[in-house]
Amino acid sequence: MNHVLAIKQYSILLVLLSISACTTVTIDQVKVTESELLQGESVVVIGRRTGSDYETEPELISCVGKNLAKGKQGINVIPETEFVDRLYPWFEARTAPSHIKDLHRLLRYDKVKAIFSDYNVHYIIWIDGNTEKTRSSGSISCSISTVGVSCFGFGTWDNESQYEASIWDYKTKVQIGKVSSFAEGTSYVPAVVVPIPLIATVQTDACEAMALQLQTFFTSPSDIITGK
Amino acid sequence: MKIYMVTIQKLAKSILVFLCFMLIGCTTKVVVKGYFPPPVVDPLPLKVAVVYDTDFSNYSYKEQDEEREEKEISMGEAQVELFTTVLEGMFEKVVYANDVSSSNDPTIDMFFYPIIDEFQYNMPVETKINMFEVWIKYHLKVYDAHGNIIADWIQTAYGKTPTAMFKSKEKALNEAMVVALRDVGAGFILRFNHLPEIQHWIKQQEQQSAFINTHPKNYVAVSTAPTNQHIVY
Repeated sequence: MNHVLAIKQYSILLVLLSISACTTVTIDQVKVTESELLQGESVVVIGRRTGSDYETEPELISCVGKNLAKGKQGINVIPETEFVDRLYPWFEARTAPSHIKDLHRLLRYDKVKAIFSDYNVHYIIWIDGNTEKTRSSGSISCSISTVGVSCFGFGTWDNESQYEASIWDYKTKVQIGKVSSFAEGTSYVPAVVVPIPLIATVQTDACEAMALQLQTFFTSPSDIITGK
Repeated sequence: MKIYMVTIQKLAKSILVFLCFMLIGCTTKVVVKGYFPPPVVDPLPLKVAVVYDTDFSNYSYKEQDEEREEKEISMGEAQVELFTTVLEGMFEKVVYANDVSSSNDPTIDMFFYPIIDEFQYNMPVETKINMFEVWIKYHLKVYDAHGNIIADWIQTAYGKTPTAMFKSKEKALNEAMVVALRDVGAGFILRFNHLPEIQHWIKQQEQQSAFINTHPKNYVAVSTAPTNQHIVY
């Protein structure tokens, strides 16, 4: 009997932990020219860090990179830190090329060009934006007694993500398109003795949706990774 | 009775030591640590003697404001590491000197002497934006082999890092510091060749045939290094 009760309790706990709040994601895409990613070619995802009151999160950049790499096509993604370190000081926050013509100028430098060739870079994806808390309300109070710790109250907050990815073609030196992602979600933490967090994973959802869109971006109807 | 007294004394000492540790624990200290990659540039055909004085190599910012959280930020070691990596990438030969003086080594072309002028930081609670920010102001000086000043300029650096769940304030501040140090390195590399005083001095050296004859190839390579026009330092 006790065994059944314990299983029930664990099941309830598991269900509660697996529940997460909802997030709404809107993706927009503008594709100027056709894109083609050949076998062995790489993509690099870099965060823009020029905003004065926000910073594109490194976790978001690595999340997009990981999701791009684990897709069906298995795009070869160069980690941001590795790429930026290898090309120091040309891709730092204040020195990174902000326009495609700046990249063109930078590539006149043989050493930089050689590193791009080493990596076999075809596309550079610049991501700009951030996730922020837009509203929060409620309160939870916890008390310690001889019986243990108990909490009571209700907390809620809204998160909003706004990112824009610009895709540059290194080979043709043109911007081939843009993918923007807007996500919002509300998280709740009701607490009756035990606080139950129902978190809206806004940044992760925005990242996954954007990576998915970017994957299709590199996939033309006639199949992208042709293995030519 | 004597045994009791000794025991009480030992206990009191232990409590005192514990309290001291507690007090030390309250003082937040950040020792900046990071990776500074070698720069992708053509080295200038110069032999540079670098002078790091003790104020620079042991630099530690001590917060005077009681209400601020971070009390000590030690960055001497990190900035020495940065400048060493950057200078060794920028110049063909780098040596280290104790001070700027007329050198006995005739092969030394110039002295480089960095000074830290100012340091500031901001925590997210102070600015209400989810960011740790750091500003550093350097006073950089270049002297010729005889100890005469060639160039003297201010190089500023800025670094920021966003707040993240499960990331400590110390780690975030360290990351912002590393970004700022990389920024000063990048600014220094891109600006050095374009300082009018440095250009003038290089031209003077160019006129001396010995300089051109010994390093003709490299000099051409350096003069063609690209610049990013939009960068404002």
